[in-house]
Amino acid sequence: MHRVWAVARNTISQGIRMRVAAVVIVLLLVLLPLMGLTAVGDRTLLGRLQTFVSYGLSLTSLLLCLLTVFVAVYTVTHDIKRHHIFLVVCKPIRRYEIVLGKLLGVVALNAMLLAAFGAIIYGLAWVMFYTANAPPPQARQARQEFFTARVRLDTKIDMDRLQTQILQEYNRLKFEGRIPEGMTRQRALGILRSEALNIAKSVPPGYAKEWTFQNVRVSDPNTPLFVRYKLRALPSPVDDQVFSQWRVGDFRTRDAAGRLTGAAVPRYVARRDPLRTFVELSVPSSAVADDGYVAVAYFNDPSRNACTVIPEEVQLLYRSGTFTGNFLRALLMIFSRLVFLAAVGVCVSTWLSFPVAILICMAAFVTGTINGFIVESLDLLEGPLSLLYTFTIKPLLWLLPKFDGDYNPTRFIVEGRAIGWGFLGQVYLTTGLIKAGLLVLLGVLIFHQRELAKTAV
Amino acid sequence: MVAEQHAIETFSLTKVFPDWWGRAKVVAVDDLNLKIRYNEIYGFLGPNGSGKTTTLKMLLNLLHPTRGYALVLGGSTADPAVSRRIGYLPEESYLYPYLSARETLDFYGRLFNLPARVRESRIEALLEMVGLMGMANRHVGTFSKGMARRIGLAQALINDPELLILDEPTSGMDPIGTRQIKDLLLHLARRGKTILLCSHLLADVEDVCDRIGILYGGRMQVEGAVDSLLQQSDRCQILSGPLSPQTLDRIRQIIAEEQTDCDISTPMERLEQYFIQIVTRAQAEARPTSGAVNTMKIGGFLAEEAAPPEPGVLDTLVGKSIEPAAGGDVELESVQAEPAPPAATEEPEDRGLLDDLTRRAATLPTTESEPPSPQEPGEEEMTERPTARPEDQPVETVRQDILEALTGGAGSQAADGTTEMARPDEPEEDERA
Repeated sequence: MHRVWAVARNTISQGIRMRVAAVVIVLLLVLLPLMGLTAVGDRTLLGRLQTFVSYGLSLTSLLLCLLTVFVAVYTVTHDIKRHHIFLVVCKPIRRYEIVLGKLLGVVALNAMLLAAFGAIIYGLAWVMFYTANAPPPQARQARQEFFTARVRLDTKIDMDRLQTQILQEYNRLKFEGRIPEGMTRQRALGILRSEALNIAKSVPPGYAKEWTFQNVRVSDPNTPLFVRYKLRALPSPVDDQVFSQWRVGDFRTRDAAGRLTGAAVPRYVARRDPLRTFVELSVPSSAVADDGYVAVAYFNDPSRNACTVIPEEVQLLYRSGTFTGNFLRALLMIFSRLVFLAAVGVCVSTWLSFPVAILICMAAFVTGTINGFIVESLDLLEGPLSLLYTFTIKPLLWLLPKFDGDYNPTRFIVEGRAIGWGFLGQVYLTTGLIKAGLLVLLGVLIFHQRELAKTAV
Repeated sequence: MVAEQHAIETFSLTKVFPDWWGRAKVVAVDDLNLKIRYNEIYGFLGPNGSGKTTTLKMLLNLLHPTRGYALVLGGSTADPAVSRRIGYLPEESYLYPYLSARETLDFYGRLFNLPARVRESRIEALLEMVGLMGMANRHVGTFSKGMARRIGLAQALINDPELLILDEPTSGMDPIGTRQIKDLLLHLARRGKTILLCSHLLADVEDVCDRIGILYGGRMQVEGAVDSLLQQSDRCQILSGPLSPQTLDRIRQIIAEEQTDCDISTPMERLEQYFIQIVTRAQAEARPTSGAVNTMKIGGFLAEEAAPPEPGVLDTLVGKSIEPAAGGDVELESVQAEPAPPAATEEPEDRGLLDDLTRRAATLPTTESEPPSPQEPGEEEMTERPTARPEDQPVETVRQDILEALTGGAGSQAADGTTEMARPDEPEEDERA
């Protein structure tokens, strides 16, 4: 372990002397405060904070990912190319210790930089909050929706039931001979699915839609519940706004007069909402029934709206932890990326030259960033191509990490959404341990066999 | 175990470099059977591209042999148990340019898992020895090639190795540094170390090596003891003090009677000797320099470190608990030849770093058993190493006798100087020393 740490220390010294490291450090030191000053968002304090932290964390993550790739690749390829490695391998150190030392050095360097810049972002966010002189409602909103960590409960459409309905509909249409000639079964089912989904989500004028949530356990009864949603409308109103009428509470039991008999206090909210933008409404947590049940209903008032409203991604959020803890977990999520990229960099550098290794690492990084999109796109493939994809690209894509979607910590922080320890553990297990571990193992095997002084003739 | 009889042993070692398509392209080393005994300084010679460095790289596991195999200290250098007993200086120093001299040695010391105290004491001692104490905190990248070689040599010695593999150790070094390294190698060998030396500077090889091997085209062309290979038994060289023309005539006459030719001329001082003399004088005047300082007094610092009340320091430096060598003259021989500058004056107990570095219990099979007698360094040199360096030899009396025999007593006329005789293959500078 001493030898591994000796190599790691040397790698850190090498890394911080690289110009690219200096550029990254200076860029972040200049840009982060500048972003804090210039962030505007939707002109509310919450908007400013969300904009700043969103761009700040994303930029820090991006630049540190690039730095990781460069340092990891440079430290191995440069040592081999410039023959510094000769004097190391002839010492009583195993080759796997050299690879581990290099990896540890890169990871330690990144941990230091990430901690430093994470602390800067965290500090600047609080400075913005205290120096903004925002009106009390805005300050309260920022505290409740940003400086917090909230559990998010999503609503899902019962796809199994929907699928059954789609199949029944398809069979009926086919029996009636109403499937256009030449249309494949897959294509017809796709169209039916799309239509069914739209119908399932839509709330025409005069109709209402309800979503129910179980096991809502609000730890602090003084903190509110949040309903988060995004609306679409068909046809879209000219002012891009619709009237919303929401009810939150326990609507399961009513007495003979139709009054609710549950202990939970129902809440009614009426407001105008912008389209295609996530908005949140807060209601006291007393709306939750004792057994953790709460229902959220949307009513499309025909006297105010002439369009069909499609509420999308209706979610329920409630406080479950602190902002500080959540921010730390967000940094740990970013750190898992850096660990993986360091492993990729060290692995490919054990047998490839600097430019080729950089190219492969960048490809891995970019693919990881849009992994979800690629997987979604390729999942739509049909026929023989689908088979080919399943046995070739899909395993490769699995080996690459996911940096987007739910694996993007910035989204959690911006939404004030808690990153669960369980989820974080799962990310570290798959990305940091299994995937990175496999790559390091491959690198060690190659480096162990490699003739370090081999020359091309 | 047969393999243990040699520090380095190769068996039909062959290395073929293929081209990009995997076709055999260059045979760098061809069926090499190298045998280097323990406690031997072996000179590995050959023109550029003859396969010397390739052989070293195979010995050090930097290249895999195409055929054959090599045993180093009875095993493979891939085994840490073997590599921890080896010191290696490659043909270029390959040091990390961003580390300071001290950090460099610390890094390599850590790779040997040396405890912090041992590491620190060795680093101090080595920096002092290679004359870079004043530049210990300067980045190696700013060093000249010679200074980098000095640090390279220091890192090769940080583990007090049993086997030292040196590829062009003196390239880029100034003459004093070169001389210092040669003396260091002799001291190391005297203490039981084995040294494999690759060099193009044949004079250096000739000065220090017991045996040499000349490689060409990857094959060993000739191998043997330096003396036996270079001795010209049909030639004779006489070196004397000033002689009168009459004496010279008589000498010519005597030689003519032997029916052989004779060439009499005034010898020139060697440039190396002259250079050392000038620099030593400048150092004595304490002229400022930003380069390496060849104090030639490298034992001074270590003597303090190795003072009797702290026996552990010496032990830690050499890695073994042994009796410190008795006091004696451990200053470099080259200094003895010069008018002693003030800086070179030492107390008798002022031990040399070389001794401390090289001191080991002579337990290896081929190691001479007795440590050098401090009172009679020259005799020790002669008895311990048959291929003794001439500067250690008390030559005057013997050679006076020979000259008298040759000249019929005329040698005694040269009362103002020594009258010496030497073989042509013996370096002139050593005679003067």
